[in-house]
Amino acid sequence: MRKLLLGASAMAALSLSTGAALACDPDYTGVTLTAASQTGPYIASALQTAGEAWAKKTCGKVNVVEFPWSELYPKIVTSLSSGEETFDVISFAPAWSPDFTDFLSEVPEAMRKGAAWDDIAPIYREQLMVWNGKTLSQTIDGDVHTYTYRIDLFEDPKEQEAFKAKYGYDLAVPQDWKQYLDIAEFFTRPDKGLWGTAEAYRRGGQQFWFFFSHAASYTNVPGQKGAMFFNPETMDAEINNPGWVRGLEEYVKSSKLAPPNALNFSFGEVNAAVAGGQVAQSIGWGDTGVIAADPKQSKISGKVGSAVLPGSNEIYDYKTKEWKKFDHVVKSPFMAFGGWQAAVPASSKNQEAAWNYIEFLSSPAVSGQAAITGGTGVNPYRISHTTDLALWSKLFSEREAKEYLAGQADSLAAENVVLDMRLPGYFSYTEVVEIELSKALAGEVTAQQALDTVAAEWNRLTDEFGRDKQLTAYRASMGLPPL
Amino acid sequence: MRNDPIKYFFIWPALFVVLAISIFPLIYSLTTSFMSFRLVPPIPPRFVGLDNYTSLLANPRFWHVTLTTSIIAFISVAIQYVIGFGVALALHAKVPGEKLFRVAFLLPMLIAPVAVALIARQIFNPTQGPLNQFMTFLGFPNLPFLTQTYWSLGALITVEVWQWTPFIVLMLLAGLATLPDDVYEAASLENASSWRQFWDITFPMMLPISVAVVFIRLIESYKIIDTVFVLTGGGPGVSTETLTLFAYQEGFKKFNLGYTSALSFLFLIVITVIGVVYLAILKPYLAKHR
Repeated sequence: MRKLLLGASAMAALSLSTGAALACDPDYTGVTLTAASQTGPYIASALQTAGEAWAKKTCGKVNVVEFPWSELYPKIVTSLSSGEETFDVISFAPAWSPDFTDFLSEVPEAMRKGAAWDDIAPIYREQLMVWNGKTLSQTIDGDVHTYTYRIDLFEDPKEQEAFKAKYGYDLAVPQDWKQYLDIAEFFTRPDKGLWGTAEAYRRGGQQFWFFFSHAASYTNVPGQKGAMFFNPETMDAEINNPGWVRGLEEYVKSSKLAPPNALNFSFGEVNAAVAGGQVAQSIGWGDTGVIAADPKQSKISGKVGSAVLPGSNEIYDYKTKEWKKFDHVVKSPFMAFGGWQAAVPASSKNQEAAWNYIEFLSSPAVSGQAAITGGTGVNPYRISHTTDLALWSKLFSEREAKEYLAGQADSLAAENVVLDMRLPGYFSYTEVVEIELSKALAGEVTAQQALDTVAAEWNRLTDEFGRDKQLTAYRASMGLPPL
Repeated sequence: MRNDPIKYFFIWPALFVVLAISIFPLIYSLTTSFMSFRLVPPIPPRFVGLDNYTSLLANPRFWHVTLTTSIIAFISVAIQYVIGFGVALALHAKVPGEKLFRVAFLLPMLIAPVAVALIARQIFNPTQGPLNQFMTFLGFPNLPFLTQTYWSLGALITVEVWQWTPFIVLMLLAGLATLPDDVYEAASLENASSWRQFWDITFPMMLPISVAVVFIRLIESYKIIDTVFVLTGGGPGVSTETLTLFAYQEGFKKFNLGYTSALSFLFLIVITVIGVVYLAILKPYLAKHR
């Protein structure tokens, strides 16, 4: 009997192990990955969904640890700088890269080839995922600011007629920011619960990226890489030049054409205002279009148009100190935030499994599904994301899908696309921007006064952190060679 | 008592625990406050003497946040005390439904401040919040509760009062329960009015506990961070930023550890000065009614 039991046990164990070997590909049985993410649903839900599928495929396990947005950076940086093995996978903003790069492992060579790799939009693959020639992270979310509008309002013949009578040109997707503000003014009708636009204006609520989107159109001279934030030769702050001031003046003006108390709007409130049919247009990340198209979350599904951000036909040239005129509107879509990235700390003991998980998470199939799922926070970053119309037809009408994907693809491929700032001590730089923006929005200081204060503080911070070191990092982040 | 050296053997572990848990962090923080020490971007620590302190004292933002914190603390505690005393007297007088009120009044104190702030944020919501909807219904314009300095300060004080008045009620109610009945009986025989009884008996006899309660609430109010963080983020600008939020921004967003340590010690000094002045002012009154 004992022999029989032993034999049966051996057979069962053998069959189980054979089954496991067949089911687990590759086999990460017993491996538990700890992944750091911001509090869900944005990004965390994408990590979790992919984690569950990856666990079924590999028999490993992914434990997603969530932190509020403001806590994520401190948690990761503390863990990395102290050399702890707290996380196997970190998800983070590209702007934080300079503070992390010394502690990250490189993307495995095997992952950096093949169709799936080439499918990643070049701006990510060649710039945002690379630091000093090394590919240290994988983009898991594409982030570029685009424009969203209400098709039903824009194509209403009565509205079109009234708009033309008032402004002297056709009501259409705005080509420049003046048109954007005209449209906002035209549709501001508080008595009907309709306002012109919605942007984030709240301190600590992603406001500065919206301001940067305005300013990018007036400061990013074509052909002059890295011209927007600092002088790339001296690292002097450019943020108080006339281009920036104009951007801030228009940003402040837009706040007056937004719903009441929009000064307390973070991006979540912007999406709620758009999906609630409160505004005629808005700017922001791709989530806006996805949420507004979802009939479960939106009152305007089926009426959501998208486009590239407005531009400008004059841009301030920091070298000549003059406005450079163009015979056409130059579009300078801003890669606000730049999209979430995933990386594996060099201190992780599960590097192979961690990269395998990231490869799975960012694969065309898994990421494509995440991109069309509202609330994941995943926006297109692969070429296949913006070309697979069938994928998006589950969410959008055909016209909505075409406009949304064209808005995303054209923004990423725009000649004058603008990279977000990536510098050591990023939060020290952005904190003063938030404070001064907040004052300017409340009417406590003028745009010029606000930006003069920011510029002075940026220069002070640069000196404190080491001007040469910061200049080297800034040039590397903008894809410029060392001086 | 025998002078047996073995007693040191038994005392040392306890002393070590106390040193490790409470004294060491303070000493470490004090040492850090004399250094230039940034975690991000990583800059090697170096001794800078009193530079962090002089830099802070010369920073208008420090004085601004100190003033803001003081405004929130003093006004909210004053209102809490007045309302709290009134409610405590009513409950002590056994008004009808006193038991229900007793539980209902204590509820806000039991909720986590961050949850209170989230509830308040929804109430003050510009378009969907009930408060602005009510104001609009009455014909008032949409009020900028969380986006203009004075309204924001008012909103923060209101939330503080709502949440912490119950604490004062609880403490004063306990104090009222200890007051002797015979004094009031004697006053009634002398035909002293209720108002007179309050000013000449209740208030003076409640002074010691009032001083303690207000002192505790003042110190606690100076530490306010969660409500401000959720409701206004310190904005607009830095107009509603408090000392602890300023310390959080410097320490956990900018990782300027030396500067933050100096700020923490200046915060300690501010609180100590306020405490000493407060007690010094009230000392003669306390001595008089002892």
